[in-house]
Amino acid sequence: MSQSSPLYRVSLDTWAVLLAFAAVLLVRFGILKNIPW
Amino acid sequence: MASSAVRTSASTKAKAPVSAAGLIPGILLLAVVGYAGKFIEHFIAAYGKAHHLVLPNIEYVLWAILIGLAISNTIGIPAIFRSGVATYEFWLKAGIVLLGARFLLGDVRRLGGVSLVLIAIELALALTFMTYLGRAFQLKPKLVTLLAVGSSICGVSAIIAAQGAIDADEEDSSYAIAAILLLGAISLFLFPLIGHVLHLSDHAYGLWAGLAVDNTAEATAAGALYSDAAGKIAVLAKTCRNATIGFVVLGYAIYWASKGQAEEVKNKGAFLWRKFPKFVLGFLLISLLATVGFFTKPQLAAVGNLSRWAFLLTFAGVGLRTNLRELSKQGARPFIVGAVGEIVIALITLGLVFGADRWYHL
Repeated sequence: MSQSSPLYRVSLDTWAVLLAFAAVLLVRFGILKNIPW
Repeated sequence: MASSAVRTSASTKAKAPVSAAGLIPGILLLAVVGYAGKFIEHFIAAYGKAHHLVLPNIEYVLWAILIGLAISNTIGIPAIFRSGVATYEFWLKAGIVLLGARFLLGDVRRLGGVSLVLIAIELALALTFMTYLGRAFQLKPKLVTLLAVGSSICGVSAIIAAQGAIDADEEDSSYAIAAILLLGAISLFLFPLIGHVLHLSDHAYGLWAGLAVDNTAEATAAGALYSDAAGKIAVLAKTCRNATIGFVVLGYAIYWASKGQAEEVKNKGAFLWRKFPKFVLGFLLISLLATVGFFTKPQLAAVGNLSRWAFLLTFAGVGLRTNLRELSKQGARPFIVGAVGEIVIALITLGLVFGADRWYHL
């Protein structure tokens, strides 16, 4: 993947937000159920 | 000269990107160090219970940071792990967004409102004081700007944001980052001690840590070292502080451009959006979803735990990326200016928090 790839134009912040939302949706729709701590 | 002291944090952003597979060893190291911290906390608690001993409850946060510091300052971090270890900032931001689920929007508005008022006062005092202090120590003007921005807003991220905007030397920014990181490492251990000595409430301490500790990772860790509730409040206050990056950096960019020493800012709206930390919006959106009942109670607990796992990786990274020997090589004057500034900012913010506690009953 070259540095000019659109993936690299997305900031770290935005990737973090996207990952967090993906995780939240997995929890919300029951795919991720029990997250132990 | 790009300092090796900041190699593992700031300058990794400018490095050529690595493949996702190249990040895995470092992320695994973060997980192992973080989990080791959690294991030690549980082991000590279980040992004390089994042997009827009263042992101090030292949170996994401190163990993870200490293990990371021990590795980084003895055997060092082998090259294969470095890019993955540098992702600790990514986990921090994801963790903050997920933490939004543990706040109702009303709490965000109330505490965020108090924080913003205190931040405005802190910013005005800190920026002015750091500017005069830097001049008194005859530091280069742009280094003074970087130190002022770093110590008043958001540590490393703000310095990096300001460096490009005011055309500062890379050497200046590496000095400023080294000073901020070293001071952050020290405050991580001092703040909880001072908080306990002063018997600060979780809310008051969290607000103080969020206002006074510079780097977001260290502010989060300093809060979590005190208590879970203090950690939450520290993140909220620090997030409010982060939200001001764009405005302060824009102000400095305009100032240096007016002196003909930086490029003019043509589109101020686009500049603000570019510098605005997007995870603040993510945090608010998740908090909104939690407020309108998008999640059930068990789901809220699950999202909260995901946030804790993300922070566990962050705390391991805070220790692993801190090489005290390299940081101390950066020269005394920026560090002294930063240290004096930090002490004054810590005292000012402590006074502000006491005042807010009295009036708003935090």
